[in-house]
Amino acid sequence: MSGTLIDFCKQLEPTQLKLPNALLQAARAGVEFQHHFPTTRDEAWKYTRLGRVAALKLSPVNINQSANPLPSSDTIDIIFENETWYCAEPITGLHIDFSAALETTAWNACSIQGHVQHINALTAQGGVAIRVDANTTITKPIRIIHRIQGEHTGLILHHQFVLGNHASAQLEVFFEGKSQDTYANVLFDFFIGVGADLHTDMLQQTNGTHYGFHTQRIYQQKDSTFALQTLTANTHFTRNDVEVFSQEEGTHTQLYGAFIGTENNHIDNHTYVHHTAPNCTSDENYKGVLSDKATGVFNGKVKVYQDAQKINAYQSNKNILLSDSATINAKPELEIYADDVKCSHGSTTGQLDQQALFFLRARGISASKATDMLIKGFMAEIVGAVKSIHIQEALHTLLD
Amino acid sequence: MLKITDLHASINGTEILKGLSLEINAGEVHAIMGPNGAGKSTLASVIAGKEDYEVTSGTITFEDQDLLELSIEERAREGLFLAFQYPVEIPGVSNVNFLKTAINEIREHKDLAALSAKDFLRLVKEKSSLVDLDASLASRAVNEGFSGGEKKRNEIFQMAMLEPKLAVLDETDSGLDIDALRIVAGGVNALKSKENATLVITHYQRLLDYIIPDFVHVLYDGKIVKTGGKELALELEEKGYDWIKTAE
Repeated sequence: MSGTLIDFCKQLEPTQLKLPNALLQAARAGVEFQHHFPTTRDEAWKYTRLGRVAALKLSPVNINQSANPLPSSDTIDIIFENETWYCAEPITGLHIDFSAALETTAWNACSIQGHVQHINALTAQGGVAIRVDANTTITKPIRIIHRIQGEHTGLILHHQFVLGNHASAQLEVFFEGKSQDTYANVLFDFFIGVGADLHTDMLQQTNGTHYGFHTQRIYQQKDSTFALQTLTANTHFTRNDVEVFSQEEGTHTQLYGAFIGTENNHIDNHTYVHHTAPNCTSDENYKGVLSDKATGVFNGKVKVYQDAQKINAYQSNKNILLSDSATINAKPELEIYADDVKCSHGSTTGQLDQQALFFLRARGISASKATDMLIKGFMAEIVGAVKSIHIQEALHTLLD
Repeated sequence: MLKITDLHASINGTEILKGLSLEINAGEVHAIMGPNGAGKSTLASVIAGKEDYEVTSGTITFEDQDLLELSIEERAREGLFLAFQYPVEIPGVSNVNFLKTAINEIREHKDLAALSAKDFLRLVKEKSSLVDLDASLASRAVNEGFSGGEKKRNEIFQMAMLEPKLAVLDETDSGLDIDALRIVAGGVNALKSKENATLVITHYQRLLDYIIPDFVHVLYDGKIVKTGGKELALELEEKGYDWIKTAE
C-alpha cells in the first residue's frame, strides 16, 4: 500500500482557511485514525479504487488574487486560471470574497466526514465566499470557472455560498482544462436561507489524467429551493459527493445528473439526502451513457428521519451501456423511519433501443447519427433542466 | 421497380419465407393478404433491411439495384419507406427534428442542398394537414403519448414528408377505428402517383375498401399462393383463409 493520508497531506500546504478548531481537530483525528486511503472494502468506495490517487506525487498550487477586475459579461465571472483568481466587479447585494472571509457562524452547522473532507479541511489553499443579501434577486448568473492545468499539482479549494432569506440566484460552475496527474479536491458549502432559491449547474469536463473529487454540502432552511445539475463528460476520474440536509419544513431539492464516459473514464456519483423535517420534497434523476471501458457508479441514498412526515422523495437512475466492456454499478438506497411518506426509487441499465435505432435508420438516418439522436433524447430530461446557456451549448457540442 | 425472386428468409434458424416472388411496377398498388404467421411482416422487415432476419437465398432488386447489398438507411435514401405496424416511441427526440435530419440526409444522398428552415416548416404544415395531424403533435417527441390512431397518422405524415418511390404499409389498419382508417387511407391515396408504388400488407379486407389495389396476393406459409385483382380480397373475406389452405 502506498502513502498514508498524512503523507498525502504533507505534500500539500497546511490550510490557509480559518476553520474552527474543533473541525480542524476532527479532520486531524480522522486522517490519523483512518491512516490509509479507503479500500474497496469500505462501502463508500466499493467501486472506486484510490490506489492511483494515493500514489500521486503532488505539489501545492499557490493561489493569488488578481487586483484587476474582469470585464463585464453576460455572467458575473469568477475565474481560476494559472494559480490566480480573477473576479468581476461586485454588484449591490452580492458579496464575493476570497478564502479568509468564510463565515464562521455558518460553520457551526457543519460536520466533517470521510477522507476527502478531511484532506480538504487540512490542506485547502483558498476558495470563494459568495454571499447574497436577504430579499435580493441576482438576475445575472454567477459563473465560477476552474481551469485545471499543469502536472502533478494538487488544488484544494473550499467554497462557500450563503443565500440570504428570500434571496435567489443562479450559479454555473465549470471544471475544465488539460492536465496530467493532477488532483483537485473542491468542496462547496451551500447555505440556503428561508424561502431562498438557488439553481446550480455544474459541468465537469477536464482533459488528461486529472483526479477530481467534488463535494457539495447543502443546508436548506424553511421553504427553500435548491436545484443542482451535475454534468460530467469524458473525465478521467471523477467522484461527486452531494449531501443535502433538509433541516426545516417546506424545502424542495432537485438533484439531476448526467454522465458520459468513454475510454477508461471512471465517474462516480454519490448522493445523500437527509430529510429531517416534515413536508419536504426531493427529486433525483441521474442518467449515464458509458462506452469503451468506462465505468460509472451511482449510489443515491435518501434517509427520512423519524417525525419527518409527508415527505415526497423520488429517485431515478437510468444507464445505457454502449459496449460490452463498459460497466455501471448502481445502488439506490432508501432508509425510512417515518410512516406517512411517499418515496420511490429505481435503477435501470440497458443498451440502446434497437427498435428505435432501426426506425430512425429506416427513415434514412445513418446508424451513427441515429445513435447520437437516441443518446441526446435519453439525456434530454437532464439537459432540459440546465439553465446555464454556456453549459447547454457545451452539451449540444458534446452530444451532436 | 421492385422485383423479388425466390426469396428465402429466416429468423433464429426458422425459415419464414420459402420462395417468395413478387414484382411491383411504378404506378401500381399491390396488396398482400394472408393469415397470421404466413410471413407478411417478415417480408416487410426483409425489404426494409432489418438485421434480425437472414436472407438465405433469392434476390431483391429495387430500381435495378441489388437491394440486399444496401444498408437500412441506404434503402430509405433510395426511396423505400416502411410504415411500421407498431410505431416506436422515442422520448426526447422531437418529431420535427428527426424528420428534418431524415430529409436532409436523403437530400444529401441525392446531392441536393439542405432544406431551409422556412421551406421545411412550410412542408410540415402542408403534409400534416394531409393526415389531419395536429401541428402540435409534429413538434412533440416521436410518438410519445400518441394514441394508436395518431401513431399511424404520424407514419403516413412521415411518408408524405419523405416522398418515397415505394411505400410498404405493414398492417397500417391494425388498431384503427373507421374514422382514423379513412384519414390514413385518404393520405395514402393523395400521395399516389404514376411514379411511385404502394405495397399494402393487411390481414383484413377492410383497408382495401379505401385503398383500391391493382393486384391482390395471398401469402401463405412463406409463399405467394394466389394472385388476382381486387375481387380476390372480397372472396377471401367471404370464404376465409381456410379456403386457400385447402385449395393448396
